[in-house]
Amino acid sequence: MVTIFEKLIKKFLKNLFKKKKHIKLGLYGPPNAGKTTLANKICEDWLGEDMGKVTNMPHETREIQIKEQVNIKSGNKEISFNLVDTPGIATKIDYEDFIKFGMGEKKAKERAKEATKGVIDAIKWLDNMDAVVVVLDSTKDPYSQVNITIIGNLQARNIPVLIVANKIDLKKSKIKKVEAAFPQYHVVGISAKDGTNIDEFYESLFKVVG
Amino acid sequence: MPHQCVRCGKLYEDGAEEILKGCSCGGKLFFYINKKKLEEQQKIVQDLTQKEKKEIEKDVFDLIGEERDKENPVVLDLESIRILKPGKYELDLVHLFKKRPLIYKLEEGKYLIDIPESFKREEE
Repeated sequence: MVTIFEKLIKKFLKNLFKKKKHIKLGLYGPPNAGKTTLANKICEDWLGEDMGKVTNMPHETREIQIKEQVNIKSGNKEISFNLVDTPGIATKIDYEDFIKFGMGEKKAKERAKEATKGVIDAIKWLDNMDAVVVVLDSTKDPYSQVNITIIGNLQARNIPVLIVANKIDLKKSKIKKVEAAFPQYHVVGISAKDGTNIDEFYESLFKVVG
Repeated sequence: MPHQCVRCGKLYEDGAEEILKGCSCGGKLFFYINKKKLEEQQKIVQDLTQKEKKEIEKDVFDLIGEERDKENPVVLDLESIRILKPGKYELDLVHLFKKRPLIYKLEEGKYLIDIPESFKREEE
């Protein structure tokens, strides 16, 4: 009698923990690729709220942003994610680039410092991730040091990767080029801004983490 | 490997007492320089104005954050981050991904001790 009771408790606890498991999903990529726009789209779709501010100026996200318990459904499956939006990773951060957007020198230098700290933090957080969506701007050359270093390091750490070729709503967008650059990965072309192909993105995400 | 005081540009070899206690000029921030890049880096520091040096000092201390022990000097590893001028940073991603510490905190009696605490991942 006791054994059955114990078994039931064990089963109950097991299910409890199963339900509590959230997949930590990191959004990584170079600045201005659309990581926060995608994070916002995901949050709007499943939570009905935004995650972060989006502007045209690079390095808008300079701190790690987390949204917990984002339950995404695709087909018959439902997976709970902890969504982690990260600052854009860059090799050069120059305050003069921000001045071009009309920012004052003092603020621009502060932003450059924060962006540098953001890159360091984003890299530090990489080992925390269960899976990563690498968001690339499909209008830009995918063969950059930033892209190759991020993807290479994810591979070395055995973290599942989905590559998003974002901004397919723009004329210059070339998904084929992104696919050719990273042939061993699943690449999904989307427009995070207008939601084009977002269902395909969720399907692909489930294939990668499932 | 040489250590350069950011404030006065003076160079110190490994193990120098000044690196542990602070430079004779009062500076407490050193750049840790690869010998191959020494000349190039020396020129960068030489060309900085006093105001710029102070700005860089403040920026690096801000980058380290609250982990910094204000009493002891710190050494920034230029292999990972180079600061050309205030607000102009060059990051070596390969080094950063290798998780080598960016900043060395120095304590008396210990030489070049990295501070894993400042690089500990934030608690989940």
